[in-house]
Amino acid sequence: MAIKKKRYALVIDSRKCINCKACVVACKAENKVPVGNFRNRINEERKGEYPKLSINFEPEQCHHCADPSCVRVCPTGASWQRKDGIVLVNYDECIGCRYCMVACPYDARYFNEEEGVVDKCTFCSHRVDKGDIPACVETCPSKVRVFGDLEDPTARIHELLSTRRYRVKEPQTGNGPQLYYLL
Amino acid sequence: MHEFNWGLLIVVYLFLGGLSAGLFFAAGLANYLTVDDKPVYAKVARMGALLAPWPVAIGSGLLILDLGNWYRFYKLFLHFRWQSPMSIGSYLLTIFTLIAFVYLFAWLKEDERKWIFSKVPATWKQVHRLNVDISSWREKIAMVGFPFSIGVGIYTGVLLGAVSARPFWNTNLVAQMFLFSALSSGSAALLLAMLLDRKNPIEKHETKFLVTLDVVFISLELFIILPYIIHGQLSSQAVKDALTLILGGPYTVVFWVFFLFLGLLVPLAIEVYELFPSIFKGHEFHGSRRMALTAAGLVLFGGFLLRYIFVYAGQVSSFHRMGLLR
Repeated sequence: MAIKKKRYALVIDSRKCINCKACVVACKAENKVPVGNFRNRINEERKGEYPKLSINFEPEQCHHCADPSCVRVCPTGASWQRKDGIVLVNYDECIGCRYCMVACPYDARYFNEEEGVVDKCTFCSHRVDKGDIPACVETCPSKVRVFGDLEDPTARIHELLSTRRYRVKEPQTGNGPQLYYLL
Repeated sequence: MHEFNWGLLIVVYLFLGGLSAGLFFAAGLANYLTVDDKPVYAKVARMGALLAPWPVAIGSGLLILDLGNWYRFYKLFLHFRWQSPMSIGSYLLTIFTLIAFVYLFAWLKEDERKWIFSKVPATWKQVHRLNVDISSWREKIAMVGFPFSIGVGIYTGVLLGAVSARPFWNTNLVAQMFLFSALSSGSAALLLAMLLDRKNPIEKHETKFLVTLDVVFISLELFIILPYIIHGQLSSQAVKDALTLILGGPYTVVFWVFFLFLGLLVPLAIEVYELFPSIFKGHEFHGSRRMALTAAGLVLFGGFLLRYIFVYAGQVSSFHRMGLLR
């Protein structure tokens, strides 16, 4: 079956996450992220008291929302969305007003002080365009992350979302986040 | 752990933008009020016209300096994005500033106008062609400017209110709150300027006019802040959580004591106390200079604090981090 359009998304099986932060390091190396800034992070949630306690690691980055509020509020159109769903910043158009950072419900963006522009996860679009997968996905030792095209019925991501229960974060903001957390 | 993307420069800019809008509105209104076809508030109108453009001009300068790449600000005007309040706002702000400057020009006395043009080199003939008397256009310019001044006043609130990710802002009352706060700051600033101008001492009817205007705007503002809190408490959990920032959270004291009490209720009480005998008892209005100075100063202080609280508290509020507050 021919694939007409693409919609990239990321499935995260956070129960497999061991908080090794290889994804964070791989992203920084791949995208030359400035010192002090990060494009992805691992949220830690601790619960209970010894001996009844649990800890949950939850990787997070830009959700590449279906209806991204950062793109909506950008006054110059520097924040934009590709047809395949990847949300990017056009650095030449960004004036550094940081409205998008305020508007992002996930705090996924950072301000590049040196360049004076806002930056964020690109889903490694330079790699994806060559048929590769994002650096964080490739490097993950415990296979937490599954990257793929939602429109491709043969993709692993399609199978996971069809057969497993999942949640997205803060759907009430109306942004349509595309990071799917398996339950 | 959380850093603020928007800081004090934005607070100052929102305050100054609103101040200009309020000054223009009050000055334009004063221009229209006549008794027996005689403009009774001409001095108020002139003072307001002379002051109105400057705060917004300074504020826009600060706004540009706050950008990551300040020299790219021109890109705002290469695009028009109707979904972005900032895009709409930058056009509104520019048009309003231009109108406010034209209005200032229309209120210059002839010798002032000549003095300004005497500083322009004589060879700049095109500039000297602008040396014309447009004082007869005052009413028309004011009428054109009204919607833009309201627009600027309300836009500063819409800028914040349109952000769905911040429940502290994302209510449909923030825009009006900012508007009425802007209008009341404007009339208070005008009152302050008139009181401080020793060369042309303010007259009683002028004080009364500005105090009355301020009472109206403060009351309107008050009756938006109360529903904001009541409504927020009855709203979804995220908004309720966001309100804990001013109901027990880090901004409680600054909101209730410094903003609501000192910056709103005290000046309102002073102004009502001043107006009461002249309105209800038929006495003549005796504006105390000291009382009026205090009230006007406090209103400006409150107007600034409102922006401060909203810019900072709003950025802390969010859908997924609020749990950490408690």
